[in-house]
Amino acid sequence: MEQNELLQLSHISKRYKTELALKDINMELHPGEILGFLGPSGAGKTTTIKIITGQLRQTSGEARILGTDSANIDASIYERIGVVSDDSGIYEKMTVWQNLNMFAKIWRVPRTRVEEVLRLVDLSEHSKKQAGKLSKGQKQRLVLARAVLHKPRILFLDEPTSGLDPTTAVEIHKMLLDLKKEGMAIFLTTHNMEEATKLCDNVALLYQGEIVEFGSPQELCLKYNRDKKYQILLDDRKEIILEQTPENIRKIAEWMEKDQIQCIHSCEPTLESVFLQVTGKTLNAW
Amino acid sequence: MGNMNKLAAVAQIKWLCMSQNTAVVIGPFMVIGMVWGFKILYSNFGPNGELIPVMMAMLLNLGVTMNICINGFLMVGTAIAEEKEKHTLRVLMTSSVTGMQYFIGSILYPFVLTVVINFAILWVSGIEMGQVSVPVFFLVSVIASLISCVIGMIVGICASTQMNANLIGYPLMMVFMMVPILGNLSEGLRRISGFLFTGVVTQMTDCFANGAEYKMEALDIAVLFGELIISVLVFLVMYRRNGYEKD
Ligand SMILES: Nc1ncnc2c1ncn2[C@@H]1O[C@H](COP(=O)(O)OP(=O)(O)O)[C@@H](O)[C@H]1O
Ligand SMILES: [Mg+2]
Repeated sequence: MEQNELLQLSHISKRYKTELALKDINMELHPGEILGFLGPSGAGKTTTIKIITGQLRQTSGEARILGTDSANIDASIYERIGVVSDDSGIYEKMTVWQNLNMFAKIWRVPRTRVEEVLRLVDLSEHSKKQAGKLSKGQKQRLVLARAVLHKPRILFLDEPTSGLDPTTAVEIHKMLLDLKKEGMAIFLTTHNMEEATKLCDNVALLYQGEIVEFGSPQELCLKYNRDKKYQILLDDRKEIILEQTPENIRKIAEWMEKDQIQCIHSCEPTLESVFLQVTGKTLNAW
Repeated sequence: MGNMNKLAAVAQIKWLCMSQNTAVVIGPFMVIGMVWGFKILYSNFGPNGELIPVMMAMLLNLGVTMNICINGFLMVGTAIAEEKEKHTLRVLMTSSVTGMQYFIGSILYPFVLTVVINFAILWVSGIEMGQVSVPVFFLVSVIASLISCVIGMIVGICASTQMNANLIGYPLMMVFMMVPILGNLSEGLRRISGFLFTGVVTQMTDCFANGAEYKMEALDIAVLFGELIISVLVFLVMYRRNGYEKD
């Protein structure tokens, strides 16, 4: 058996009573890889994570995690994976330290690792603070610290930065990239295309329970970069978007020569526009 | 038993959470305080400041059943509901803690506490210890506390919030606590009471208070062990279906 794959989904589907929430999902995850499921609310991201991590049973198909069929996994699998769900809570009445220490006991993790993780998420100086008194971003960092305390092979994150301010989100991105460097594989879901572009080695675009596109963010953007465009702001404050045609290029050259251009941008395709082209819907549509 | 660390961690988490919950901490002290207060208040009726047997019976009955019911039905149930409310239960269940470890870890301290406080009530009540069969009292306390804790776990499975847990727990508590207490007033209730595990407790404390010899009958044993088995089975069926939390 191929041991390089930490995770392998083949033909996974999930039906809730009447609704088909996932249709024929296939994917693989390798060590040190960050894989993102990008899709709008209701696309099936949480359902996917729950199935892979054994919290929910698929209707059909096979999921293998760390070489074991997810139908056969028991509680011990959680000694080797870390899970952050979309609503993971903390013990608010306990201190930051206690919150981590309880799980250090569960996983038999030495005290030094707790200190190390506290430093990783930059909460060392708050370790005696009551966890309920932390800011939203600090709480999320604590949740993340707890999930990687036992150095899991795979880290699952369900919308890890949803509802956080941009600064905190950036801090969390940095932490995730650090973990990746240590060889941890990360499976994350998001509805934020910038996050997916920045973090993910590979992205699956999920729409109505189906993977409609798969590839590296760059690959996908280039694939759908059919008509190149330039966005130009002229001296007279007029903003125009021009397509790449010989005629337009001559026009742009002329403006440039006369120094009439304030700003010029190439309209690079983004995952957002890829998503729009593939599904006809925007990512933030409900 | 290589996983005692997980059980110990769950028990410690529960302990930390419960000891931070004022209502939960005050509960047992209130029961002991109540028994003590009543004793002082009513001891004037008896000769040389002692409680007359009927008062002693009422006092023990009230204290012991209340203690058993509060700790189990309410303490255990709301502690689980709190974890659901704060979204920490799923965290535990995805951290390699098994359902069994969570079960034992959750009831360990409430169970021990209930038994210990039962003895404290006995002591505070001032009952002549010669009238008490300690082994029997211990055995009945242990089983009754266990049943109450398991029912508390069932309450926890059913409830989604602490409010919810109280809503389910209080009526249960009323039935198991009040039926034996009111059994003195009505023959019908007394009959029903004979089939409740708290009713068995009441019969026992009544005998002790009256200085009579307590003989456990077959029905009492059947009720105690039967209700323990039934509550465990109900718990298992519910746990098998959805775990501690519905998806
Ligand atoms: N427990 C459930 N019962 C019925 N339908 C559900 C349940 N959970 C999710 N769904 C449905 O499945 C679809 C996918 O949900 P979800 O996986 O939560 O999406 P996402 O995480 O991408 O927002 C949604 O249409 C949702 O309504
Ligand atoms: Mg979701």
